[in-house]
Amino acid sequence: MSETRKIVRQALVIGALSVLLAAAVHFPLVKRLVRGEFRQTFLVQADYPGIRLITLQEAEDLWAAGEAVVFDARPERPFREGHVPRARNLPATESKLKVPPDVLGLPRERTLVVYCEGGDCQSSLALAKRLHDEGFKDIRVMTGGWEEWIKAGLPVEAGDAEK
Amino acid sequence: MPKNKSLLLVFRLALGGLFVYAGVVKVFDPLDFAQDIRNYRLVGQSLSFMAALVLPWLEILAGVALAAGIWKRASALIISGLLVFFIALTLVTIARGLDVECGCFGALSRKSGFGVILEDLGMLFMGLVLLFSKKGLPPMGTVPPN
Repeated sequence: MSETRKIVRQALVIGALSVLLAAAVHFPLVKRLVRGEFRQTFLVQADYPGIRLITLQEAEDLWAAGEAVVFDARPERPFREGHVPRARNLPATESKLKVPPDVLGLPRERTLVVYCEGGDCQSSLALAKRLHDEGFKDIRVMTGGWEEWIKAGLPVEAGDAEK
Repeated sequence: MPKNKSLLLVFRLALGGLFVYAGVVKVFDPLDFAQDIRNYRLVGQSLSFMAALVLPWLEILAGVALAAGIWKRASALIISGLLVFFIALTLVTIARGLDVECGCFGALSRKSGFGVILEDLGMLFMGLVLLFSKKGLPPMGTVPPN
């Protein structure tokens, strides 16, 4: 019994040391979290200068003016059931991100808007990073996603549309 | 017994080394690792962030302790506990149909799936042998000492 206790105590000491080391080594990052950074994303703006998070209103304005190519990062099935009109489906998951050649052929200055389910979905951000790596310079992530678009009663298109 | 001792030493060095490596590759890019944790969609931003800061250090310290033979069973306990957690997490991820990177080895991570579970089970076997052995491997067919 006392041996078990000793082992647990030692394990707790290792755990506490890990917390202390993490706090000491990453103190600048902890300060940034306390200041309010990383609330929405862990994206470091300096690494991805071309990516911006935007509201539904901004996304709607860009879409209505036809100024942006809109990408839906959700899987094919939900996309077919309904999506932002004229959006292209580019299912983006963390482990498999393929950008088709016609998308790669777009001018790099073109404004791109990406979205996923909404809530805590992460695939739009993954897609944005991938597009950024391909050299696109103006990528906007609609953080509210499909959920917000639908709730706002904005136009919806169903079917395969462009892919 | 000497043969068992050598086997235990191999287990300690292999498992400890793997955990040190897994921790080191993540400790330099905590935000990337935080995003990996966030992608599992189980915890929010702040918890993902804190886990991303602490977990690599826990892996490094437990791995170093195990490989160096300091507090062997305590470090084997931590490592085994982490592996049980990773296996459960991967199973839940598969059940939810999420397609995410495991985040296990930083940039060298691959898709979270059954392959990851098999690797974790192999490591868990080593961890449990180390946890339940004091000086050598328990003889076959006996209950390991507690």
